[in-house]
Amino acid sequence: MLEKLIQLHQIKKVFPNTNIPAVDEITFSIEKGNICVFVGPSGCGKTTILRMINRLVEPTSGNIFIDGENVLNVDSDELRRRIGYVIQQIGLLPHRTIEQNVGLVPRLLKWPEAKITQRVVELLEIVGLDPAESAKKYPYQLSGGQMQRVGVARALAADPPIMLMDEPFGAVDPIVRGRLQDEFLRLQQEVKKTICFVTHDINEAIKMGDYIVVMNGGKLVQQGTPMEVLSNPVNHFVKDLIGDDRGVKLLDLTRAESLMTAVTESPAAANDCFCFIDAIQPVKMALEVMMKNDSDMVGIRRGKNVVGTLSWADIKKHIHKISGDQE
Amino acid sequence: MNFELERFLEAMFERSPPFILEHLQLVLIPLGIAVAIAFPVGVLLTRPRFRHYTGRVMSIFNAGQTIPPLAVIAVFFPFLGLGYRPAVIALTIYALLPIARNTLAGLAGVPLEVKDAARGMGMTEWQILSQVELPISLPVVMSGIKTSAVLTAGTAALAALVGGKGMGAVIFAGINFFRMELILAGTIYIGIIAVLLDRLLTYIEGCMAPSYMK
Repeated sequence: MLEKLIQLHQIKKVFPNTNIPAVDEITFSIEKGNICVFVGPSGCGKTTILRMINRLVEPTSGNIFIDGENVLNVDSDELRRRIGYVIQQIGLLPHRTIEQNVGLVPRLLKWPEAKITQRVVELLEIVGLDPAESAKKYPYQLSGGQMQRVGVARALAADPPIMLMDEPFGAVDPIVRGRLQDEFLRLQQEVKKTICFVTHDINEAIKMGDYIVVMNGGKLVQQGTPMEVLSNPVNHFVKDLIGDDRGVKLLDLTRAESLMTAVTESPAAANDCFCFIDAIQPVKMALEVMMKNDSDMVGIRRGKNVVGTLSWADIKKHIHKISGDQE
Repeated sequence: MNFELERFLEAMFERSPPFILEHLQLVLIPLGIAVAIAFPVGVLLTRPRFRHYTGRVMSIFNAGQTIPPLAVIAVFFPFLGLGYRPAVIALTIYALLPIARNTLAGLAGVPLEVKDAARGMGMTEWQILSQVELPISLPVVMSGIKTSAVLTAGTAALAALVGGKGMGAVIFAGINFFRMELILAGTIYIGIIAVLLDRLLTYIEGCMAPSYMK
């Protein structure tokens, strides 16, 4: 059983001079080591939730627990030093070098200088920047993508167990964004942080999330794994958010092995295959390979052995099953 | 009015120099007091607790600048009489506005996301002010102090009218005796003082400014 690291209990926020709550009695929890993505349109309250976790915004009512401890009982500055924070606008200190920016939280925590220097070098390498080249630079000398990397490095500096990321890759172009997402997912495999991630982009949510929380108008509309949300949207709002191509989106999340016909069932079919993909690759890859080779079928390999086949008909049946209720 | 080179040289190198120090005092003391008042007030007015006073306080400072220094001296005359002190007070009131306004503008110009990120990293309010907001707004704050310095250097000449001495004494002597040489010499020295003060403050700013701005 996974430990629930962050728990929100009936959290409500009404901003001064407004009647409609920005966040309305939301209860959920995030498991340790998971990426939980809040997704929804602008003004749905996703950023407010994030900012309540590190008390940049104080909830009107309700409680937030981190590791069983009520955050309202912790000094807010102390709390924030234990939680990594990345925002879309990055907010690097323009008058400090990259080195000083990354070392900010360790310095607040009064680490010895030698340890800070060592940690900064380590972090810059982790996020893919050359420490020798970039450490002494100022933020304005970096590109947007590099600044985002520094933003992530700064949030990771004191090795906080929790990271809050508010559209962290929103300000860069789609190509760099894709690369940063991939790198971040790889990094997450090593660091295993518990991450709250906010985005308005459902594709990013599906790609990054272990768990998705869909929000609208301050209310929690649906929560679940990307697969659950995609294959079983609870209402029209979620359906619209996901888009009409949810069947195809699912193909990106579904491993080829889960749809294949095992080689034991039809050994003859495997002999007809002249193109192959790995069992853990997404079904989308199988389609790509089929189209490239002008074939209706791909073989599925696990290591060097052919373990099954996946045909165009199998995939079509699957898509039909998921989005069959759509016109 | 006639102009004689000999008298001009005499005015430049014998009559005026004794007043340089006096004039500097008339500039630096009001400027120092004005910085000591307007800078902290400007900083306080950008804090959430005092922000709603901004309009009222700034209109007081604005009013301070619209009153001619002579009028200020007239207002204080019954309490302080003539001489050095009322002159210093009038000049101080005059120097407040540019410093306060630039302090406000400088702090308001610090990008929101930078403050937000600093808070999110766990910096205390005081750390954010001293390590983030003030260093970033320094150039704007300093330009306000420079404006006040140059303004005060010129206005300080009026102090002579109430017996406050300074380079104004030379200029007004020139006016009273129709001596062009004295007026010119006094004006030149005030100009030099203004330029040197500006340079000095720029140099101080350079020493304090973060290196990315150099």
